[in-house]
Amino acid sequence: MKKVSFMDMPDVPKGQLPEHLELQRTRVFCGSDAPTHSEGIQYSGAYASMGIDNSLRLDSFCKKFRVEVIQLTEDEIEFDMIGIDASLANAFRRILIAEVPTMAIEKVLMVNNTSVIADEVLAHRLGLIPLDVDPRSFEYFSGNDSPNERNTIVFKLDVSCKKGARITVKSDQLKWLPNGSELEMTTPNPSAKPKSYTLFTCSQASLPEFSDKPIGPKHQDIIISKLGPGQAIELEVHAIKGIGKTHAKWSPVATAWYRMLPEVVLLKEIEGKQAEELVQKCPVNVFQEIEDIGKGKKKAVVANPRACTLCRECIRGEGWEELVAVRRVKDHFIFRIESTGALPPEDLFTEAVKILEDKCDRLISELS
Amino acid sequence: MRKGFIVQLCFPILFVLSSELYLKMEHGSITDQRSSTFSLLDEDHTLANSVRFTLNQDPRVEFCGYSIPHPSENRVNIRVQTTGDPAKDVLKDALQNLMVTCQHVRGTFDKAVADYKARPPMEMDADGQN
Amino acid sequence: MRKLRRSGKIGEFVSIFVNEKQRCVYVASDGGRVCRPLVIADRGISRVKEHHMKELMDGVRTFDDFLREGLIEYLDVNEENNALISLYEGEADTDTTHIEIEPFTILGVCAGLIPYPHHNQSPRNTYQLSRMDTLLYLLVYPQRPLLTTKSIELVGFDKLGAGQNATVAVMSYSGYDIEDAIVMNKSSLDRGFGRCIVLKKYSVVTEPYDRIVKPQMISSKSGYVVDSKMQILDADGIAAPGEIIRSHDLFVNKHSPKIIRDQAKPGELRETPTPVTYKGPEGETTVVDRVVLSTDVNNRLCIKFLVRHVRRPELGDKFSSRHGQKGVCGTIVQQEDFPFSERGICPDLIMNPHGYPSRMTIGKMIELLGGKAGVSSGRFHYGSAFGEPSGHADRVEAISETLVKHGFSYSGKDFIYSGITGYPLQAYIFMGPIYYQKLKHMVLDKMHARARGPRVTLTRQPTEGRSRDGGLRLGEMERDCLIAYGASMLIYERLMLSSDPYQVQVCRTCGLLGYYNYKLKTAVCSMCKNGDNVSTMKLPYACKLLFQELQSMNVVPRLKLTEA
Repeated sequence: MKKVSFMDMPDVPKGQLPEHLELQRTRVFCGSDAPTHSEGIQYSGAYASMGIDNSLRLDSFCKKFRVEVIQLTEDEIEFDMIGIDASLANAFRRILIAEVPTMAIEKVLMVNNTSVIADEVLAHRLGLIPLDVDPRSFEYFSGNDSPNERNTIVFKLDVSCKKGARITVKSDQLKWLPNGSELEMTTPNPSAKPKSYTLFTCSQASLPEFSDKPIGPKHQDIIISKLGPGQAIELEVHAIKGIGKTHAKWSPVATAWYRMLPEVVLLKEIEGKQAEELVQKCPVNVFQEIEDIGKGKKKAVVANPRACTLCRECIRGEGWEELVAVRRVKDHFIFRIESTGALPPEDLFTEAVKILEDKCDRLISELS
Repeated sequence: MRKGFIVQLCFPILFVLSSELYLKMEHGSITDQRSSTFSLLDEDHTLANSVRFTLNQDPRVEFCGYSIPHPSENRVNIRVQTTGDPAKDVLKDALQNLMVTCQHVRGTFDKAVADYKARPPMEMDADGQN
Repeated sequence: MRKLRRSGKIGEFVSIFVNEKQRCVYVASDGGRVCRPLVIADRGISRVKEHHMKELMDGVRTFDDFLREGLIEYLDVNEENNALISLYEGEADTDTTHIEIEPFTILGVCAGLIPYPHHNQSPRNTYQLSRMDTLLYLLVYPQRPLLTTKSIELVGFDKLGAGQNATVAVMSYSGYDIEDAIVMNKSSLDRGFGRCIVLKKYSVVTEPYDRIVKPQMISSKSGYVVDSKMQILDADGIAAPGEIIRSHDLFVNKHSPKIIRDQAKPGELRETPTPVTYKGPEGETTVVDRVVLSTDVNNRLCIKFLVRHVRRPELGDKFSSRHGQKGVCGTIVQQEDFPFSERGICPDLIMNPHGYPSRMTIGKMIELLGGKAGVSSGRFHYGSAFGEPSGHADRVEAISETLVKHGFSYSGKDFIYSGITGYPLQAYIFMGPIYYQKLKHMVLDKMHARARGPRVTLTRQPTEGRSRDGGLRLGEMERDCLIAYGASMLIYERLMLSSDPYQVQVCRTCGLLGYYNYKLKTAVCSMCKNGDNVSTMKLPYACKLLFQELQSMNVVPRLKLTEA
């Protein structure tokens, strides 16, 4: 690496870091034994001795920032975020996993369970079933409230197996009860009117969000339990709103993660047999051989760096590390969000950003 | 996990903030407004790391970092030392910057999604190779 | 003689052992010796030929045919000393007398469950075998191991399952993983990793003339309620199955007749309630699983309750992999704080790499590689003992090739991003699936505290044992340590003041223990018949007990007192 002093090169434009430092600032070097320069240099005065301002002004951020959507389906989204720092990308990822609210089954009222599955295990399985309902139309249920149509969803499961073959209880047998709970609480006073477990003032089916799309589990074929002849399950469940931090059943994403954009650079010309070897080595076909028309020899070029999974086969072995440099770009993130179905993935990301804004807002109002 | 170096010396002012209005001054002198440690309840690395990043970008900040005193408790201490301005104001500015950044991110993202949806489906292969 | 055995004239388990040094031949035919079947080889050529194997596969021959025809024989420990056994047919030379049927039979069934044991330091394999005994009752979601061995398939262990395949990252994290502790992922635990069901049995035997009484309704503010202790009882006074039972709840509302010698006064209760209460940990949801009514030998009604508790892993629960690497759960961390790989996978468990250097369990590392390759390629990999040449174990090179084919690094190390900062970690992390078992020692069964509590009647010292709410013993060796420090006041406090202090009156003249007369408010010595020379001092009650026991044996322990 040539060490140039900023003073010695009068043709280097002011306000620009020397090449190798700029590379260190913006790229993670993935060596064969360990990645280096992985931490970001955030401090505004990091390069103050060279007279370069490392601070990120808001306007320059807004100019450079880009989002490109690569793929969007009903349950998944893959998009690129360019120009943002890892702290923010990580904050979005963390909020997506843990702090975006969803509805999930919390209370299970057992009437009858003669199946082989224990009550608690059955309740645990019911809690993990993803529900196809937008949590934004509901409120949180705190301890003091009574369950009403604004904060609870009630389902019923009533299956029994007649004599004969075994049956499998799947999630489509969870029936939605828009009018609230049908069970009655046992009261000490026999003459009083029986109280239901929920106080629904109006049927949920009458609400505009649910009138044409009934609430139910997202996937109809999740196996809840199996029943043998003569066994039955009868229970009622209440679903409430919560966040993934309390329990993983309230996490709206199967998972959400990002990776940095891979950058594979050939430091020297690779031709002939070596080129063939290099192309063979990579399991995801990052390299390609191209016939060099001028010289007549085969040359290896980097065709698809985005597919690189960092298996490091190309730099394994003697001498290969001087020929191939595998790097990661520090401010280009390839985000993938896989939703469980409650909210479409693009809405999930928007919600996550909104939650971060709310946090800042709350903090600002506390400070003033 | 520790991140940044929070040194609880006698002179910094300690502000305790949480979702309830709860502002408590703990130690020492009120004269030195340039350095403070802010203790926040019900927060973790999500907000603290982002705030630390935005604070670092501000040239008025001489030093900033955060730490979580104990992993069992949901508390974060953010320390800010500035080159002259009161630390509270610098923190507020950084939070405003963070909010604007988030709004910009949201706007850009929504536009990109709308663009993608509006695009005719034939073009999807070309972009998949990006 | 061996020829006789091989032709079937003598029993096949008779062992004939030639001892050169002592110049004698031992013939052993007793029972209880461990014997192993081996293929007989004449100067290195196995007697079992191709056509034999074909006939075996067709079903024409059986194992006993092989024995009777002198192709296979049983060798016990002594006779093995006379034999030169080669592991594989290819390695046999002219001196070889026997060939192994299959090398993994050298180890037994339990050791056969360990993958790649031939890569581990041998004591670690032994520890794993003792771990197998402390395994757990019932896992809620058992899985079969990704890296099996031939023994596992023969035994049928893969159909039973005693653990789960956890994605493990080998790295230092949080500092709560020191000394073999494990860091666990809270979301994995939420989704059911490591949950187990513990079943306990309680039985109640009713004596004759006992009555089981229906719970009475008592009137209270909100109408008629049942007494809170009797909440879970059914109409017949016995706990109903499916009810959640808590501490101090009654199992059976039983009444026994009082022993009355004289005629009972009218109106007095002839029976006392002798309920059977449940004593269990506070705050835990234990459920009555089953109630069985039966009679015992003496035809008395016997009620048995099976109480079930679903336990979620918590801090202090013990886990172990299959290589003797046990560890306690050190801390439970949220999923978003956990590191994640480029493919979005975050581990269930984080293991400290310091557990590897001194323990040398390379088999665990190979298990991780094999498991990772198995998950990517979709087939189970094998790790039988000594199985590489014969194909019963996959070679590391082959596994690495599979990994590379699927885009992973050949070493199993991945590029991981930190969940806390968002930046990549500055090293590649070894991450993959390993089969982890949950062991029987759970903190809920062991947690115990006592401030003051019951005492043994005889010595008036605190009771022993957790079930009796006992104290912890400061044993003889601990006492020696305190002596070494010279901490005399500490010994005095621990061994007397906190245990069984007792005030005695000692007579200075005769040295025997006296007593304190409450009416006269003075101490009196029974021997000297007066209270002039009596002083009080504090002794451990056990010491006073010792003196009195000696006195009963006609040995006189006299105390000589001096001023303090």
